[in-house]
Amino acid sequence: MAGVRLEGIYKRYPGTEKASVTDVNLDIKDKEFLVLVGPSGCGKSTTLRMIAGLEEISEGKLFIGDRLVNDVAPKDRDIAMVFQSYALYPHMNVYQNMAFGLKLRKFKKADIDKRVREAAKILDIEHLLDRKPKALSGGQRQRVALGRAIVREPQVFLMDEPLSNLDAKLRGQMRAEISKLTKRLETTTIYVTHDQIEAMTMGDRIVVMKDGFIQQTASPEELYNHPINIFVAGFIGAPSMNFVSGTLVEQGGAVHFKAPGVDVVVPEGKAATLRSKGYIGKEVILGVRPEDIHEEPVFLEASPNTIVNANVEVAENLGHEMYLYLNGIGSDTVIARVDGRSGVRDGASVKLALDMNKAHLFDKESELNIFEN
Amino acid sequence: MSTFEWVKPLQQILKSKVQLLTLSISDWKKETENESGTHLTVNQVGSWVRQKDKLWMLAEQDGNQVTVLEISGEELSEKEKELISWSMQLANANKEKTAVSISSVSETERLAYKLGEWLNKQLESDAPSYSLPDHITIGNRLYHDMIPFLLITEHPNAQQDIYPELEKLLRSFLSDDILLIPLKSQEWMIWGPVSLLKDDDPELLQDGEEETLEDSLTSIAYGLHEMLASEWLGECHLAVTQPVSPSKGMVEAALTLRETISLGRKFHVGTNIHLPWMLQLERLLNAIPEANRSKYLEQSLKRADLFVEAEMLGTLETFFSLDCNVSETAKKLYIHRNTLLYRLDKLKQETGLDVRQFRDAVLVKIILLLYKVTKRN
Repeated sequence: MAGVRLEGIYKRYPGTEKASVTDVNLDIKDKEFLVLVGPSGCGKSTTLRMIAGLEEISEGKLFIGDRLVNDVAPKDRDIAMVFQSYALYPHMNVYQNMAFGLKLRKFKKADIDKRVREAAKILDIEHLLDRKPKALSGGQRQRVALGRAIVREPQVFLMDEPLSNLDAKLRGQMRAEISKLTKRLETTTIYVTHDQIEAMTMGDRIVVMKDGFIQQTASPEELYNHPINIFVAGFIGAPSMNFVSGTLVEQGGAVHFKAPGVDVVVPEGKAATLRSKGYIGKEVILGVRPEDIHEEPVFLEASPNTIVNANVEVAENLGHEMYLYLNGIGSDTVIARVDGRSGVRDGASVKLALDMNKAHLFDKESELNIFEN
Repeated sequence: MSTFEWVKPLQQILKSKVQLLTLSISDWKKETENESGTHLTVNQVGSWVRQKDKLWMLAEQDGNQVTVLEISGEELSEKEKELISWSMQLANANKEKTAVSISSVSETERLAYKLGEWLNKQLESDAPSYSLPDHITIGNRLYHDMIPFLLITEHPNAQQDIYPELEKLLRSFLSDDILLIPLKSQEWMIWGPVSLLKDDDPELLQDGEEETLEDSLTSIAYGLHEMLASEWLGECHLAVTQPVSPSKGMVEAALTLRETISLGRKFHVGTNIHLPWMLQLERLLNAIPEANRSKYLEQSLKRADLFVEAEMLGTLETFFSLDCNVSETAKKLYIHRNTLLYRLDKLKQETGLDVRQFRDAVLVKIILLLYKVTKRN
């Protein structure tokens, strides 16, 4: 096994001025599960394809272990890939599909057999070894593609949206299986997805990308609780974080955040930072996650300085929880996630309290999180 | 650069029609006889003779055949003739060097190079011969139907160095019964056996539907591309077409596959597997003169820049690839159905084209395809 190091990696396509990937620096540790996440066109797949050797690196250095591999062919990088558009070899059965790479590398027949059967057992496809790919379901095909990668026992697994062709239920199931598998095999894994749930549940660390730039690299908890800017804050979490534009005002010895329909007090610890950074009197953006807007009487009683009144446009009851689409907090719709048994109905007027200890404030111009930079 | 690759640039430089003719020695002697019946002294490679309104230069003599370079049009100066003779000799020297370096290779490889050279000549020619000449045969294989593929690699490599490696890889992957023909640098024609299409277990088909020939060819092309990308040199372009007997259909298949890859690369950047039956509309649009295409596009885009926004482009491409199915498109794009409907309504509002209607969908599809090829011009 080995780590992977990217030093100042750029990707520029001929005829385009702007780089598709800009100055990517990453040190992926041995056995780590790293997820590259971001919206379509953010450069995550291009970065992975450069690691795989399928795209040339325009600038920078790529190391697998201690070996510089910029000019090494994909087959000689000791990596195994599973891509979104993976294709099984249609004229070979499952066993042959998994054995082919080893056969090419001149492994002994007995070793090939051992590896294929072991991988098949792990993936629960032993009973399918004689089948051709077209006689398999989508989930089974996906397992074979994984099996083809596993038998190689590579230094690094590279996966690019490997679950995107599966239906939601199967995707959830395979997500857990891939996590279990990579932990068991202890192989360094780089996984690309646009799905923040996959990123949050699978990654030891997550790299959030946008427009070819890394926005933030951190553990899932760190990303969720301490997003470095508005983009990361809005991208991670579902439903997304709510953003309200307003002004910070010093009033009665406390710092207030004021916006249409909102006048809440910022906790003293945060207020001190805002004062020292000169934000009083300035426009900022308040970020509150849906679960940090409360309707429970106990919370309301304990937080008299952060109460807001709102109208419920729509109340979506999912059973265990309820999403309230609210008007009256700032100028845009705000979503609150409350208990499914709260009994709130469409059209109701509600009193809610914001958990300002967990709220974020962003600089209006730079969009950076004031408390994290 | 071999002799036939040398002809096209020469034609462009001279702005005259230039072609290579193959004549028997006796025909050559007859043609170069002067009016009094005596032979001209034109038996040395590089020597020139005027034939009515054309100029001939003896380019190559091989056994009982000669290759003649024919230039139509005006007289050339002595210096021009000398330069052409000199560069022709250089091209021949390179060819000999190649011949020496492949003299140590297997008989199959030598024949494949010969076949490749003949095929290249036909592909360059204005009037190609569609049947293989009798002197080029590789066993009986050429007379049975085979599956033609065209492979273009993205990494420059000396063909001779990688021929054995690629051939071995293809034999392991497809079958021993393959034929690999080197064409231009980084371009290979691969012939695979039709046995790849045979289905041992038809009753086990997952979806219960019978697979069409095109479906089978597509699966094989995807599998082959995946194998070549991960087990060989990395990214490459691959096209496949319907099986045909190489002896009769080699030139036609090569032309189709070359056109397919060219259309695929032009209209679908980022796609590496190109299928002729999926590029019918692209072929038609490509045949429209550039000026007409640009004019039509200019008029269409005047109505809205909305088409060229990345989000709208992506949305429409997915929508069309899923046969204009709103639910499936929303699912594939991971957006709410209403978000998709909002985008389609916005397009309708700004352009007057509702892609949920067949007629407008066709127009928008054409506009998008034209936009892709003209924006890079």
